[in-house]
Amino acid sequence: MGNKITKIFLNWRVLLLVTLLFFSILAIRPNIFGTEGVEINSMLANSSVAEAGLSNPASKVLPTARERILSVNGEETNTVEEYYAVVSQLQANRTIRLETNEKAYTFLAPQSSNGKVDLGIKVKEASFSNLRMGLDLEGGTRVLLQPVGGISEEDLETTVDSLKERLNVYGLRDIVVRSASDLSGNDFILIEIAGVTEDEIQELLAKQGKFEAKVGNETVFFGGKKDITYVCRSADCSGIDPYLGCQQFDAGYHCRFAFQISLSPEAAQHHALITKNLKTISEQGSCYLAEDLALYLDDVEVDRLRIGCELKGSTTTDIQISGSGAGIAQADAVNDALKNMKKLQTVLLTGSLPVKLEVAKLDTISPNLGKEFLQNVMLVGVLALVAVSGVVLYRYRKVVIIFPMLLVMLSELVLILGFAALAKWNLDLASIAGLIVVVGTGMNHFIVITDETLRKEAEALDWKTRIKNALFIIMGAYVINLGSLIPLFWAGAGLLKGFALTTIVGMSVGVLIARPAYAAIVRILLEE
Amino acid sequence: MLQKIKHIYETKYKLLMIIPLLLLVLSLVQLGVQYATTGDFVNKGISLKGGSTITITKDLSISSDELEGSLQQEFPTAEVSVRTLSSAGKNTGTAIDSGLQDKAEIDTFVAAVSERFALQKADYSVEVVGSSLGKNFFRQMLIALVFSFLLMGIMVILYFRIFITSLMVILAAFCDIVITLAIFNLTGMKLHPAGIAALLMMIGYSVDGEVIISSRLIKRKDGTELERIYGALRTGWTMTQTTLVAVLVALIFVQSEVVKQIMLILLIGLLVDIIVTWIQNVGILRWHLEKKHKSSGQ
Repeated sequence: MGNKITKIFLNWRVLLLVTLLFFSILAIRPNIFGTEGVEINSMLANSSVAEAGLSNPASKVLPTARERILSVNGEETNTVEEYYAVVSQLQANRTIRLETNEKAYTFLAPQSSNGKVDLGIKVKEASFSNLRMGLDLEGGTRVLLQPVGGISEEDLETTVDSLKERLNVYGLRDIVVRSASDLSGNDFILIEIAGVTEDEIQELLAKQGKFEAKVGNETVFFGGKKDITYVCRSADCSGIDPYLGCQQFDAGYHCRFAFQISLSPEAAQHHALITKNLKTISEQGSCYLAEDLALYLDDVEVDRLRIGCELKGSTTTDIQISGSGAGIAQADAVNDALKNMKKLQTVLLTGSLPVKLEVAKLDTISPNLGKEFLQNVMLVGVLALVAVSGVVLYRYRKVVIIFPMLLVMLSELVLILGFAALAKWNLDLASIAGLIVVVGTGMNHFIVITDETLRKEAEALDWKTRIKNALFIIMGAYVINLGSLIPLFWAGAGLLKGFALTTIVGMSVGVLIARPAYAAIVRILLEE
Repeated sequence: MLQKIKHIYETKYKLLMIIPLLLLVLSLVQLGVQYATTGDFVNKGISLKGGSTITITKDLSISSDELEGSLQQEFPTAEVSVRTLSSAGKNTGTAIDSGLQDKAEIDTFVAAVSERFALQKADYSVEVVGSSLGKNFFRQMLIALVFSFLLMGIMVILYFRIFITSLMVILAAFCDIVITLAIFNLTGMKLHPAGIAALLMMIGYSVDGEVIISSRLIKRKDGTELERIYGALRTGWTMTQTTLVAVLVALIFVQSEVVKQIMLILLIGLLVDIIVTWIQNVGILRWHLEKKHKSSGQ
């Protein structure tokens, strides 16, 4: 037997499988013993901790290599709950020491509008491997947008870029924004955002975001980099308007926000030209121009500002933009105003999309559901494996076959996951369905190999022919399946691409590497 | 009894082919009736028809009928229907389907539900599909299936270089899909896009069986024709058994509605495929071989 085992490990097919298996595990890098700290999921770009040097995790960084927060002010943060509990105890304007696995950051605790300290960091449990869990497993939002009317390729690219930029303003990591098309040639934009997403982001995505500032019927400037060179988002020049603040109304509160922007010299010149000939009026002792500066977002007026006489004909580049928010309680009104402000800032920064978009499909998946799903799928996988082993054992009654069969099947799974980690795939429901097919056909093929070599009729044949016969069947099934899977790449706006890709890669790995290795093992074990 | 069945299987293979044919005809009738009465070949779920689904994992301590009734009263135009989700006989959550597609309407609906049961954001998931995408998706999948069939046919011809096997594989895939869909319709469940993926997965599994009989019956010369058929049957039956137990285990224990549907379709498909492969395909191949022998004998 010892001789046979040595022979197995010296077989080139087995050696190839073992080598690739080694590299797959290296790519997956599972942390069996757990990881310290919580992983930084996303971070607001203008938060004080960002100014202290902590940067937003790049989506290209491997999950296990991402920066983790180990402690805040010396208190350990090993779970998400622990982290938020520690942060909720922090006091504004005190020094904070945040320690990560890379370095320590010291900064002043910022105060947010509701009086609590918000570090602007969203965390999640540390990744236990380099496998990227897709939305169905980790929770998040998937939006499929469809341009209204036709769209050129160039416009589609611009739209994708602008949407990416909009999401960056919100400091989101792990975002997928890509164009997709279907078999009828319809274009779509698919956006996937991991983790819990605020409603306002979903709303913002489908907005064309055409911003116009008009005096009378003339547009003074548009949103976007051409006309607007700077949009203030820091606390000193943006936030709830200190002069007007919040006011109580019958049904609740109403708060005003304001922030500074800088116009390009051309836009400022345009402003001077338009306001030069306007009449002036006097109201309650102040002098204003007869026309207001009206702000429009997607052709809907969002605010109307009075223009002081001193701005008449002036080429001023600094302008204050304002708007409002409402709510039943004052805190709600403040939040609503700040939310509206952020939306407006985002469209001013990123400009308008070249087309109107419509939400064709929207999924929000709760992170709890995702976690439960993953655990459940693993349990079902183990149970199915036990059941299948039982059937195979009953049929062949030879442990010497079952053992390598299960080992090679598991190694097929590891090879696919290794490839997924390397290719930075997001594993989602579609890929899991693909894994089920691969494991299922894999099992079928192990049975084919075993039967082709063990059956009575084959006794007259030499081993080489037996294995050749088995591989002929396997190869045939593989190429035919390949044919049936290829059209899925384009069907249904690419929603089944994950399924097709996983199945094709899995089957290829199985047919070309793992199953021939199994055939070699069976031959060595059973050959007299 | 077993001997009698064996005898019929061995000698009356042409007559036996009536069984899959009858199944196919009945299934086509079912699909036709379904189309005539509902305007669709299948019971389309929200993802294929357009609308929204809210999946809640928290225990709501209310029966689904009661919840459906009260939501219908509150939102009379929303076409609400409520399903209880279960796994291994235990309730695991509730799914609320509605015809709502407009963002503002859905927000109000979700807010009403989450307020009523004091739900946190992490307690529920929402899926919204616009009707145009749903309709398109279904049509696209049909186009994809036609392309799949064509490509499969070409691959079989290239691989076996025999026209009859190509025809057999495509016919088998067609029968598998049509009969499975008709039986699925009879369960009253609504089809999800993953269900369509399951139909394709099923083709993947059934192809294995087809290739085994084709290569054993046509390419091999060892043993008699019947010996080769029984050899192939033994291998095919082991394959079907392993897949069946795995599918059954998943069907009982899996929580996800989507995966459950995949498994149900695979289960129906596998059972249908037993008849299609071992009666229809074996019959066609034997007929083909018989003709070939006759013509070569003449």
